[in-house]
Amino acid sequence: MARQFAKTELAPIAKEIDEEGRFPWEAVEKMGPLNFFGIQAPRQYGGAETDSISYCLVIEEISRVCASMGLMLAVHNGVVVHPVAQFGNDEQKAKFLSPLVAGEKIGAFCLTEPNAGSDAMAIESTALREEDSYLLNANKIFVTNGGVADIAILFTSVDPGNVKKGFSAILVERGTPGFEVGLLENNCGMRANPVSSIILNDCRVPRTNLLGREGEGFKVAMAALDNGRIGIAAQAVGIAQGALDASLKYAKERIQFRVPLAQHQAIQLMLADMGTMVEAARLLTLNAAHVKDRGGDLSCPSAMAKLFAGRTASKVASMGVQIHGGYGYSKDYPVERYFRDARATEIYEGTNEIQQVVIARELLKRGED
Amino acid sequence: MHIIVCLKQVVAGDRVKIDPHTYSLVRSAESSYINPFDLFALDMAAQLKREHSASITAVTMGPKISEEVLWEALTLGADRAVLLSDKRFAASDTLATSYVLGMGIRKIGAFDLILCGMRTTDGDTGQVGPQLAEELNLPHVSAVEKVENEKGLFRVERISDGFREIIEVSAPALFTVASRTAVRLPGLLDVQDAFNRSSIEYWNLEDLNADAGRVGHLGSGTWVEGLTPTAQKKTCLFIDEDTRQQARMLLSKLIEKNLLS
Repeated sequence: MARQFAKTELAPIAKEIDEEGRFPWEAVEKMGPLNFFGIQAPRQYGGAETDSISYCLVIEEISRVCASMGLMLAVHNGVVVHPVAQFGNDEQKAKFLSPLVAGEKIGAFCLTEPNAGSDAMAIESTALREEDSYLLNANKIFVTNGGVADIAILFTSVDPGNVKKGFSAILVERGTPGFEVGLLENNCGMRANPVSSIILNDCRVPRTNLLGREGEGFKVAMAALDNGRIGIAAQAVGIAQGALDASLKYAKERIQFRVPLAQHQAIQLMLADMGTMVEAARLLTLNAAHVKDRGGDLSCPSAMAKLFAGRTASKVASMGVQIHGGYGYSKDYPVERYFRDARATEIYEGTNEIQQVVIARELLKRGED
Repeated sequence: MHIIVCLKQVVAGDRVKIDPHTYSLVRSAESSYINPFDLFALDMAAQLKREHSASITAVTMGPKISEEVLWEALTLGADRAVLLSDKRFAASDTLATSYVLGMGIRKIGAFDLILCGMRTTDGDTGQVGPQLAEELNLPHVSAVEKVENEKGLFRVERISDGFREIIEVSAPALFTVASRTAVRLPGLLDVQDAFNRSSIEYWNLEDLNADAGRVGHLGSGTWVEGLTPTAQKKTCLFIDEDTRQQARMLLSKLIEKNLLS
């Protein structure tokens, strides 16, 4: 179903929206009725409540055709809808979850700042307690979906003197006075996703917008990211599969030395390696999804999946460019877009190096048994 | 209202493999999908379900792998799914297929309407719908675009030779459905529901009380004597003239080929 949607609605526009840096509302509006905005969200709030494997398959199929839309859905579902469903109280779920799940509102996750990213505790955002509200000041950058988001999960500190103790997650709606969307990032890839900065200037939100408890923000962020990494891994698998699809097609069409490229062993070796890497990345990703569905500890499997799938996407897309030769370097063929899009999967939702830190920490924790 | 929709699993055009001995299609999960014309029938059934709170039973004949199309039907609104599957059904032509479908439908029980696709993208005979109507002794209308139901009477519209025909038919009846635009995709919720709530019923020759002499090769009035691929030859003609001349040449070529009448 997701494959069919990607083929009919996204494939015809993927090139154009990348070139124009345009968010395709016409296609996005059709995703709501298909439950793409609440893939795993509770039925009570309109979600499809699928297992994590189905979630990965949807993200993979969308990203296989259009990584920018795969990213939009992975962030919305993985690090916005999921933590609101997990940590929100009933009123918050009724107010925020229902419109997010229906696709009436799009979500964003605001952690990174000019001086804080991988080092989350270095944030400089503040939330001052007032009688019934928080007074928010923040400068959040590289916010995926930032240009179109209606509801943002903001990571800030209610205790400027002790960021760690005061680290909290607060829901903020666009349109609140003081909420400002900054300039869109001029990114190398994922260009149809309006990644932007979000600036909060003396922005007042009710105390009831606090997600979880004060000081629980790190727990919310890590739970969201552990979960979100599976989505990004699935996205990376989709990009790699898309690059492989394009390369297989080209290798059969392009004639060099009087035979199709596919008959040259040098090209076959590359295709074989690409296919094997994609399959390995997919299985690591689905394993992480399976662990999540069983309620197991997600940190290590999701970090491994994201690390390997991100690297695979970059490597496979790069090999795809190589198979295409000069045409691979041209915007006339989609593999060039996959090559640019793939690179981001090694950076966002935790860089490769952060995944390695998580993996090593988990491995060392296990001891010598 | 109870609607029965007949479906067929077909093999993707670019992945057709023919068994060199039996001349029958070789199917695999990757290369098979629901006949696109049957989706129109399913879509019409789903529309009638919304309008008249009908129930839908999807039925297909084929090997176990054909259950894929029944799952798809369940995601698109079918309430019940029946697979008519038996090795002895293999190599059935349209006559034997219609007999098996007819026996399956008799076992399913009372119904108001049977909907079929007009034809399939593989066999492309367009015979099964009308033959099934004959088998079950039902009135049938082909290429139906629109159905209304009033007091057990169907009022249907079909386009034929440039005319819009309006026909009244008493229930139960069989219609083959004309192409429709924008067939709805199921949502993830529909997919979840189909898999959580439904199962597929498997019926073989004995379950149907069918006559073994009327199914498969034995029951077929036709059989394939031989099969050779035909290559479609394409030739490109380049017209190297000025624009006006090019237009003239193109026009005369089109008229010559009888493509403008």
